[in-house]
Amino acid sequence: MQSLVNSSITPLLNTPGPFNEFPGEFSPLEAVKALKETRVLMIGAGGLGCEILKNLVFTGFRKIDIIDMDTIDVSNLNRQFLFRESDIGKSKAEAAAAFLRRRIKDESLEITSHFCAIQEKDQSFYRQFSVVICGLDNVEARRWINALLVGMVDSALNNLIPMVDGGTEGFRGQSRVIIPTVTSCFECSLDMLSPKLTYPVCTIANTPRLPEHCIEWASQLEWPRRFGDRKFDADIPEDVDLMHSIALARAKEFGIANVTRSLTLGVVKNIIPAIASTNAIIAASCCNEVFKLVTSCNPVLDNYMMYSGDESIFTYTYAHAKKANCPVCGTEVRAISALRWWTLRNLIDVLKTKQEFLLKLPSVAKADIPLYIALPEHLRLLTENNLNMKLIDLVSPGEEVVVTDANLPISMRLLVSKYDGPDVEPQDISSLLKS
Amino acid sequence: MDSEIHKAARYDRQVRLWQRGGQARLEHSHVCVINGNTTSAEILKNLVLPGIGEFTIVDLKTVSDADLSGNFFLTETDVGSSIAEAICANLCELNADVRGNAVREDLLKLLNDSGFWRRFDVVVVTERIRKEQLERLEGILWPHNIPLMRVWTCGFSGAVRISRFETAVVDTHDPSPTFDLRLDCPWPELAAYADSFDLDELDDAEHAHVPYIVIYLKALEHWRKTNGSLLALPLSYPEKTDFRRNYVESMARNMGLETNFIEASQSIHRALQKTNVPASVAELFQRPETSDSSLRETKAPFWLLIRALKEFVSSSGGFLPLPGVLPDMVSTTSSYVLLQQIYRKKALEDKLTFLSIMLELHESLGFESDFDAETIANVCKNSALIHLSNGSQLNNHNNLLSRLSKSLEQSSDHNLLLVSYFGIVALDSLAEQESHDFSHFVQTFCDITRVPLQNLTEPIKNVLNELYIHNTSRYLNVCSYMGGIVGQEILKIVTAQYIPLDNLYVFDGIKSMSEKWKAL
Ligand SMILES: [Zn+2]
Repeated sequence: MQSLVNSSITPLLNTPGPFNEFPGEFSPLEAVKALKETRVLMIGAGGLGCEILKNLVFTGFRKIDIIDMDTIDVSNLNRQFLFRESDIGKSKAEAAAAFLRRRIKDESLEITSHFCAIQEKDQSFYRQFSVVICGLDNVEARRWINALLVGMVDSALNNLIPMVDGGTEGFRGQSRVIIPTVTSCFECSLDMLSPKLTYPVCTIANTPRLPEHCIEWASQLEWPRRFGDRKFDADIPEDVDLMHSIALARAKEFGIANVTRSLTLGVVKNIIPAIASTNAIIAASCCNEVFKLVTSCNPVLDNYMMYSGDESIFTYTYAHAKKANCPVCGTEVRAISALRWWTLRNLIDVLKTKQEFLLKLPSVAKADIPLYIALPEHLRLLTENNLNMKLIDLVSPGEEVVVTDANLPISMRLLVSKYDGPDVEPQDISSLLKS
Repeated sequence: MDSEIHKAARYDRQVRLWQRGGQARLEHSHVCVINGNTTSAEILKNLVLPGIGEFTIVDLKTVSDADLSGNFFLTETDVGSSIAEAICANLCELNADVRGNAVREDLLKLLNDSGFWRRFDVVVVTERIRKEQLERLEGILWPHNIPLMRVWTCGFSGAVRISRFETAVVDTHDPSPTFDLRLDCPWPELAAYADSFDLDELDDAEHAHVPYIVIYLKALEHWRKTNGSLLALPLSYPEKTDFRRNYVESMARNMGLETNFIEASQSIHRALQKTNVPASVAELFQRPETSDSSLRETKAPFWLLIRALKEFVSSSGGFLPLPGVLPDMVSTTSSYVLLQQIYRKKALEDKLTFLSIMLELHESLGFESDFDAETIANVCKNSALIHLSNGSQLNNHNNLLSRLSKSLEQSSDHNLLLVSYFGIVALDSLAEQESHDFSHFVQTFCDITRVPLQNLTEPIKNVLNELYIHNTSRYLNVCSYMGGIVGQEILKIVTAQYIPLDNLYVFDGIKSMSEKWKAL
């Protein structure tokens, strides 16, 4: 029973404290057993993932699966401490698992790695776990796992797998506990994410003012024009140099300063600043929630903690409310008001760009009649002519459509409540400008 | 790979926050941690990874089996060896650029050598050391303005207190920048630029690309004429609304289409500000540290900058140096680039004026002019955000005690976090006693807080009970949380670009809440 002797956590589990919600049912032995036997899934073995894995293993967790599709890059080493220079190029999930197996000489430790995208696994895989922890830096993967976990719960609350989610950006971060269908879900708070910085195409094409405009011109317009199908690869230094020189030439032509290689890389890769300490704070908070959840020693965060450290230290903890019209966990229909001149394509663009939707490959159907199907290809070809039709001719005011996405397991009821504005699209003044 | 290129790649994600200047300061910093344990290892990990110059662990103890539990940076093979050396070696594996030192000396002896301590940029105490030793340490560090941090981890809770004479931040990062545009007092070149636009003469496309700075300058001139005051600004809400509707939007040809006018209409609160010296900076000008006699004595670089800034403001008619940073706005490239040149030219002129004031000041005081160009540039860019706060010593907390005694009946989360802090301090002070029980602990809490025992409410007793029942300093999740917080504050202190905690922070891992106070 060597692993039972974990003197750093036994004082927390020996006696239920005054805040324990079910002190009568609490058993120290059961709590330790739960730590040893609960199967935990760690999604992401990056900056947050390394911290979270360390904390799990050193607070008694013994059955951990790690899933990550990424390989190790030199810029990871300023915070991802389970990796060394000799690991560059290897799978993060495999390298992290190997490190922990070497580090912990305990036969009861079962660490399994999965070097693949989370979307490659199905429900039967996820059903094996009692908790899912996310330490991801991308929104798409979190939306996908969130929608999957919410969708797995039945009306009797079977297959309920709590999801603990952490996220960081520079000196800021957040941790949250999502109990699928019970608390608000990731999708409920989509509109709280800071929107990705984008620049209007007409600015990039005609009136660049910032160094970023020149870089976007190089990557969005000039690279495809010059190199056709040859995709830009940010991991190839020569490609980055080339992109930088194209942007620099553009900047010179317009008298714009400060197009650096570092800025070029930041813009084309959409790099988010990251430091070890913020990851440590958010990861520890997530693991503390998982520890309380699995041992039942104390109540779990309800349900959102924001952290900000760029001016003194600030946290804000609150219960984020469920959205009745959340496309994942809500039941109510979502309403949108359209403009008279819109084609179906305009609606699709709104679904792709508006912060509350941000869908990648939306399809739209009306009571079983497909209006536009993004995938598979043959259905897209059959429906793509509809894109140029006026929306008002396809969907009457007050009529409902169902929106789905090839990348997300969701189905959203969308009500086109009314049509406003002129029948013909007003001409954009910017397009008149000759540069 | 070339080592400089390699370093740039390795630190890319953090240098985007504190730039190369901050990274250079980090790489020249030396942090000392007294006591080797999980929390100190976690703090140092967050400094070794981003590449701090040097760290030192002071501890006499050897590694026991119990030390291994919950500590990622100790292994079975370390049992029996020096804990300072073992943690140091395991941390150094994370980053070859960092130098780690283990000092196995008696703290009491080290405290006799104040020179030993003055080499550090920050000193952290992660476990109880004797009260008189802590006071001795603080006495050494305080006059040299070296921050001393005391960190506690207790069950599901943690706290940190910073003791430092004063904290100055010159190169401040503003998380939500406002722009100094001088729209209410345009200098001649800016006014002439605005006058060069005759809106009626422009075609529709040109009209929709007039930068909003020009729109404001024209609207403001019109507004001032109508209102009969040549220097006023629309400041009240009704004035701003009137200004937006009847002066800005009324100049548009089509408010639905002209994005520059839409932008102008939406940016009034941010862009149209009264240009002045912020009160926080004006206060610094009044400080005795800026006098000739004081400067001759201290030669303090910070106060020399403030004195020069003060002279700049009086010679410029009440203005700080112009930062010269222009936000993006709808415009043609040529108009924007020209406007940017006007702002940059003025900023450069201000910088040169400031530089000559600095040189004169140094000459008149008989000092060498050993300041660098980067410092001058940073001051001129950030003068409105210069931050100075005076700290307080670890024993001071009377303001918190009176807050606590006044609000005993309110069991708000805020007050209960304060109870946690004094509970942690009380428990810590019991550590030197051989045995104690809960009532003993509660009595100690009452002694420290001067709260009569019979006044303790049920929620307060629960907080104390929780601390007592789950009293361990080794719960990794709390050690790692506090290690992150302390690491973050040290990074802020040594890069000198972000405003650090002043001076007490408490975390409660049961409610997952935290709060900060300034204890005085
Ligand atoms: Zn939801």
